[in-house]
Amino acid sequence: MEWYIDSDRPIYKQLVEQIELRIISGIYAPGDKINSVREMAMEAGVNPNTMQKALAELERMGLVFAQRTSGRFITEDNKMIEEAKNTLAIKEIDNFFEKMKQLGFEKEEIISLIEKAEEDNNANSKS
Amino acid sequence: MLGKLLKYEIKATARTFLPLYLALVVLTIITKILISIALPGTVLDSTSGSNFEIPLGISMTVYFTIIVALSVLTLIVIIQRFYKNLLTDEGYLMFTLPVQTSKLILSKLIVGLMWTFVCGVAVAVSIFILAIGNISVMEITQGINVFYSGFQNQFGMSPNMLIWEMIILMIVDIVASILMIYVAIAIGQLFNQHRIMAAFGAYIAISVVIQILATLLTVIIPIFGIEELINSQTNQLKVIEIMINGLTLLNIITAAAFYFITNYILKNRLNLE
Amino acid sequence: MPILRAKGLTKKFGNLTALSNLDLEIPRGRIIGLLGPNGSGKSTFIKLATGLLVPTSGEITIGGAAPGIETKAMVSYLPERTYLNDWMRAEDMIAFFGDFYEDFNRIKADNMLRDLNINPGDRLKTMSKGTKEKVQLILVMSRDAELYLLDEPIAGVDPAARDYILNTIITNYKENATVMISTHLIADIEQVLDDIIFISQGEIKLTSTVDDIRETHNKSVDGLFREVFKC
Repeated sequence: MEWYIDSDRPIYKQLVEQIELRIISGIYAPGDKINSVREMAMEAGVNPNTMQKALAELERMGLVFAQRTSGRFITEDNKMIEEAKNTLAIKEIDNFFEKMKQLGFEKEEIISLIEKAEEDNNANSKS
Repeated sequence: MLGKLLKYEIKATARTFLPLYLALVVLTIITKILISIALPGTVLDSTSGSNFEIPLGISMTVYFTIIVALSVLTLIVIIQRFYKNLLTDEGYLMFTLPVQTSKLILSKLIVGLMWTFVCGVAVAVSIFILAIGNISVMEITQGINVFYSGFQNQFGMSPNMLIWEMIILMIVDIVASILMIYVAIAIGQLFNQHRIMAAFGAYIAISVVIQILATLLTVIIPIFGIEELINSQTNQLKVIEIMINGLTLLNIITAAAFYFITNYILKNRLNLE
Repeated sequence: MPILRAKGLTKKFGNLTALSNLDLEIPRGRIIGLLGPNGSGKSTFIKLATGLLVPTSGEITIGGAAPGIETKAMVSYLPERTYLNDWMRAEDMIAFFGDFYEDFNRIKADNMLRDLNINPGDRLKTMSKGTKEKVQLILVMSRDAELYLLDEPIAGVDPAARDYILNTIITNYKENATVMISTHLIADIEQVLDDIIFISQGEIKLTSTVDDIRETHNKSVDGLFREVFKC
C-alpha cells in the first residue's frame, strides 16, 4: 500500500490517518511489531520527527503502544480497532452525504441511488 | 595536516611535470648519442660525422625547447595551483577543510619551491651529461681544486661559507618570488571583478615599489655612512659577504611581509565567487 | 546546546547589505529548509556558517565556537557548484575526504557510489554534471557531521536520484545532528523538512514548522512561499 501525502494538510495528521487505515484494514495486524521510526519515515518519504509525532499521536489514541525496550506494537484490543473502523466509516459517510447534499439530492434519492449502484455493480461482476 | 596537503599538492602537480621530465631524459640520451657520433674526434672519424649533423641539429633544438618549456611550465604551475585550487570553485573544498589557511599557503609554497629546485637540478645534470664526454671528469675535478686553492690563497679561507651564503640567498630569493606571485593573486581577489587583471596590476605595482625601495637603499646607505663602514673593511671578501647577506635579509623581510599579507587576505577577506 | 547561533549577524559587500542583523538559533536533530528567492542572502548565510566569509558585524557560532578549524570539522558542506578536483577519480576523492575528515565513512561512500551506479575508477573530468553532483553529495553525506549545510542539493539531479537523495537525508538522520537545506525547489522536499525559514533581502521573514504552516494557512509551504514572494 502506497503512502499518499498531499500538500495542503499537516503531514503528521495524514500519517496518523494512513497508519490508522492500515491497522483497520488489517495490513498491520493486531499485535504486530511496527518498524522503527526511521524505517517508517523512509517508507513514507517524510521527516523522522514528523513520523515520531504521528506515532505518538497513535499511542495517545490507543491504537499503538510502546514497550520500552522492544519497540512499538499495534494494539491487540480488537474492540478499539472496531471503534476506529466505525469512526472512520462514519466520517466517510458524513463526507459523502455532505457532497450529495451539495449536488442537491435528498435522503430517499441518495439511498435508492446507492441500491441501484450496487445492483449494477453485481451485474457487472457476474458478466 | 600539512603533510597531507603536501601529498595531494605533489600528486596534483607531478602529473603535469612527469611527462616533460621524461622527455628531458629521453632527449638527453638521444642528443648525447648523436653528439658522440656527429662530433669529430670522438667515436668515429669526421667523414661519417657529417650525416648526423641534421639529426643532431633537430635533437638539440628539441632539447633546448624542452628545457625552456620546463622552466616556463614550473612558473605556470606555481601560479595556476595557487589561483585555481584556492580561488576558483576548488576553493570551496580547500577552505572548508579543517586546516589552517597558513598551511594551505605553505603547502603550495613548499611544493613550488621543490619543483623549481628539481627543474634547476635536472637541467644542470642534463647539461653535465651532455658535456661530460668532451670534458673529462678529471678535468672538472682539477678545475674545482684550482679554484679552491686559488681562493684560499687570495682570501685566507675556504670558499664554502660564501658558497652556502649564496645558495641560501638563491633559495630565499625564490621563496620571496613565489610569495610575491601569491600576494598579487590574493590582492587581486579583493576586487569583485576582473580579479586576474587586478592580480597582474598588483604584481606590477609591488615590483615597482620594490624597485623604488631598492633605489632608496642605495641613497640611504651612503647617507648613513654605511658605505664607508663597508669600504673600511680591508677584507674584500667581507664586503661581498655583507652584500650577499644583506640581500638575503631583505629577501627574508619581503618574503615575510608577502606571506603575512597573503595569509591575512585569505583568512579574513576571502570572497569566492 | 543549539548547533548554530547567530546574533546580530550582518554581512555587507561594499554598499550592498546581504544579511542584516540576523538573529537565529538552530537546534540539533532537525531538518530545516532555508527558503528564499535568489539574492535573499541564503548563500551568504551558509558561507558565513562554513567560514568562507567573515561577518561584517555580529557573530555566528557553530557548537559554541566561532568558525575555524574546529567548526569546519563539525560541518559538512555541499556548495551549489562543483568543487571537486577534475583530474581525480571518484575513489581518489573518497581517499581525500577520508584523509582530512576523521568522521568520514569510506564504506558508506563506496556503497552509495554502487547504489547510484557510479564507477569509482572513473575520472571526475569524464563525468556528466549530474553525476559529479551525485559524487559530491555522497562525499558530504558520508560524513558523520553535526551540521550538514546543503546548498541546492537536488536542483541539477534527475527525479530518481532526487528520491534517493531525500531518502539518504532521512536515513542519515541523527538526533544530535541538523541538516539545513537551502533551495527553491520547495515542493519536492517539503515532506522531509521539520522547520522552515523564509529569508528575503537579508532578513528572516518567517520561521515555523511545516505542519504549523499547513495547519494555519491551509496550504503547503510551497504554496505559502509563492504567496509571500509573489513577483
